[in-house]
Amino acid sequence: MSDRLVQILEGNTFVVSDDRGDIQASLTDPTGLFSFDTRFLSRWVLTVNRQQLSALSTDDLQYFQTRFFLVPGSGTVYIDATLSVIREREVAPDGFREELRVLNHENSPVDLAIRIDAASDFADLFEVKDALKKKGDYHAEVAGNSLVLGYRRETYARETWISATGPADIDEQGLSFHITVPAHGQWSTELDVVAMQGSPDGSTAAPVRVRGQAHGTRHVRRDQARGLEKWLQRAPTVECDWEAVEHVYRRCMTDLAALRFSTLTMPGRSLPAAGLPWFMTIFGRDSIFTSLQALPFTSELASTTLLALAERQGTRVDDFRDEDPGRILHEMRYGELTAFEERPHSPYYGNADATALYVVLLDEYERWTGDTKLVRDLEHAARAAIAWIDEYADLQGNGYVSYQRRNDKTGLENQCWKDSWDSISYRNGDLPGFPRATCELQGYAYDAKIRGARLARHVWKDPAFADRLEKEAADLKRRFNRDFWVPDGEYFAVALDHDGRQVDSLTSNIGHLLWSGIVEKSKARAVARHLLGPRLFSGWGVRTLAEGEARYNPIGYHVGTVWPFDNSFIAWGLRRYGFDEEAAGIVAGIMAAAEVFDGRLPEAFGGYPRLATRYPVQYPTACSPQAWSTGAPLLLLRVALGLEPQGDTLAVDPALPLRFGHLEILDLPGRWKRIDTCGRGRIHTDRLTGVR
Amino acid sequence: MPSAATRSAPPTTDRIGQFFADLAAFGHLATLERESATLRFDVPGDAGRADRWHITVRDGDVSVSRQGNGTPDAIITIRRPAAEALVTGRLNAHAALLRGLLKCEGSIAACMMFQRCLPGPPGSVGRVPPISSATVMAWHDGTKGRRT
Repeated sequence: MSDRLVQILEGNTFVVSDDRGDIQASLTDPTGLFSFDTRFLSRWVLTVNRQQLSALSTDDLQYFQTRFFLVPGSGTVYIDATLSVIREREVAPDGFREELRVLNHENSPVDLAIRIDAASDFADLFEVKDALKKKGDYHAEVAGNSLVLGYRRETYARETWISATGPADIDEQGLSFHITVPAHGQWSTELDVVAMQGSPDGSTAAPVRVRGQAHGTRHVRRDQARGLEKWLQRAPTVECDWEAVEHVYRRCMTDLAALRFSTLTMPGRSLPAAGLPWFMTIFGRDSIFTSLQALPFTSELASTTLLALAERQGTRVDDFRDEDPGRILHEMRYGELTAFEERPHSPYYGNADATALYVVLLDEYERWTGDTKLVRDLEHAARAAIAWIDEYADLQGNGYVSYQRRNDKTGLENQCWKDSWDSISYRNGDLPGFPRATCELQGYAYDAKIRGARLARHVWKDPAFADRLEKEAADLKRRFNRDFWVPDGEYFAVALDHDGRQVDSLTSNIGHLLWSGIVEKSKARAVARHLLGPRLFSGWGVRTLAEGEARYNPIGYHVGTVWPFDNSFIAWGLRRYGFDEEAAGIVAGIMAAAEVFDGRLPEAFGGYPRLATRYPVQYPTACSPQAWSTGAPLLLLRVALGLEPQGDTLAVDPALPLRFGHLEILDLPGRWKRIDTCGRGRIHTDRLTGVR
Repeated sequence: MPSAATRSAPPTTDRIGQFFADLAAFGHLATLERESATLRFDVPGDAGRADRWHITVRDGDVSVSRQGNGTPDAIITIRRPAAEALVTGRLNAHAALLRGLLKCEGSIAACMMFQRCLPGPPGSVGRVPPISSATVMAWHDGTKGRRT
């Protein structure tokens, strides 16, 4: 078995295999063909004369396409390679196609037995993660020119259809080809794998593609390639003296293309899924943050996110799903455990931030695009979101947004972006009770009201509602600056606990407060000093939890690592309050890390001081690329150039690190149609980032 | 022969009829404002005939009738026990779709709109009692958060 895993995807269908293209999954092994959160192939092994092959090379041609060059032999001892095998695999929205080519390099014909073994365990993604047992029954049959693998539990049915263009002997475990390849000649066939929902009454009907024998590989390939090309062509151009910035930008836009996800209700449009491959679904928080980051470069992700989340906005009280009227969803899933309500993701609503952030995104979207029609179409959704903040999120009746799950078996304990079990703690390491009112939630609620008021006044023509929201926001700001301020440390507590007491550790959350605007001017300087101070700032970026807190750990998920997404919003907040030098320090640090990671920032990296390790230490994560890490450099470019829509024009106010030299962004789309912007790096950041 | 009034009032055991009667009585649902679609809700019976409801939404105004003309934007088909569970909040529409209990033909967007009219599960209270710090610490002591 090969170590290197290869993954390709299209929408929420993806294939993870070893570097020979083989899949030999166990219940806990994350390889296979996955679609709609279900594994449709757990075994897919190619043999020639009963021998597995070894990889000479593997090329990722596109995010949806890979080519494997193989030869017979075990990898350590090659049989003399008079034969090569090329597998070219391409993921389609409903499965994959694989072209299999066998090349004979000998001067005489050769007889070969080619075999593909196929099987499926139809595991739910959650089962792969948690190693759960299946409750239904499997079946396999040969139907015409196809092998059908199936799984059934009551009326729940899923099938995998496998067929080939060339004549094959098909049995219930796979397909065999007995072939003769002429001297210096080749043989090829195309294998087609279709993942589908079976019929609930047990009747087997072939999928359209198999029935029509329409092997449309070439069309799909051209469409997908053209889609990616068009996406990149439409994107603005970035030119920078620091060449790494151009490379990082191109990488981000390509990765963002791969992360695009279409819902069944809006097939022609796409929103950003959270991460590749395990989180290729709608997440309220991740889709909103990524849309915000990418807004200057593409507004389509934002409008689709706003529409898709409104379609699924909460309408009732449902404790299992943590749903309330007006609440924006947390995560949507399609697998067996969701189908049988053994997991609440249909969708699950357990987050306390996405609802306010929804209003923030709607306003920011209008400021960039001038698309007042969408703001009018989503008026009800936005009002319902604002109403949720007051009527459903104030769990303690103290005027603050807090969270506590009602689904205490499979719901989320921490419903803020730092969602791991130990992310919210007092200085001494103790964990607070529930409900918890984390500080950034109050910032988001404040911002939602300020921005909601602007939309009410200018688009919905409801000045009375606007007045009310502004009054409530001002009141929230006043109370917040009193109740969350930790006087002896001069920063904001990360949360108020179940008794309304301060959870007093120093965290990166205070940066989000600057972004939201809830911080009183008189307190902002102290906050900025902490963010760039030695306890929080590593030289690369701001740590999630400050050094010196009991739970601090430089490689702890939310308790010491540096998150690029977090930093991009902190930098935005610093500029909002006029801390240009501090913002430039973060821009320089994160961009330098992006350069080290070859343009693809991980979800998080170690919080070790930059001087100590010299290189950022990657935190091991399941997903790469991760959407909001991909969006981070985009937001940082915006922050560095100080791009702010002002009426129908775009204001530019650069605060660029020296290292950038000259930076230009050409053809920025927006209500001004297209605009070119530029700036020159003048801010010395080496002292801040610890380079010198 | 029963009068028109008694005929149109569904028996109390007919949960599906009751649901649609309630929906029609609302007349307007704010959550469906700016939405317009037509839907047919089919509950197949034993003799091959289906109980049918035609739902029309015009910018949030909802009307329901047993007779309809024209092709609806979407047709939802679901058998009686599952349909009763659906309209009383005991079965989630998305879960039912994934399980093959509910079939949706035509516009998926129209089906999505319809599911927003469905009630939540009975017994959902929306609030739970607070949990103290000591309890939370006890959950995590020695388990490193592997509490399920």
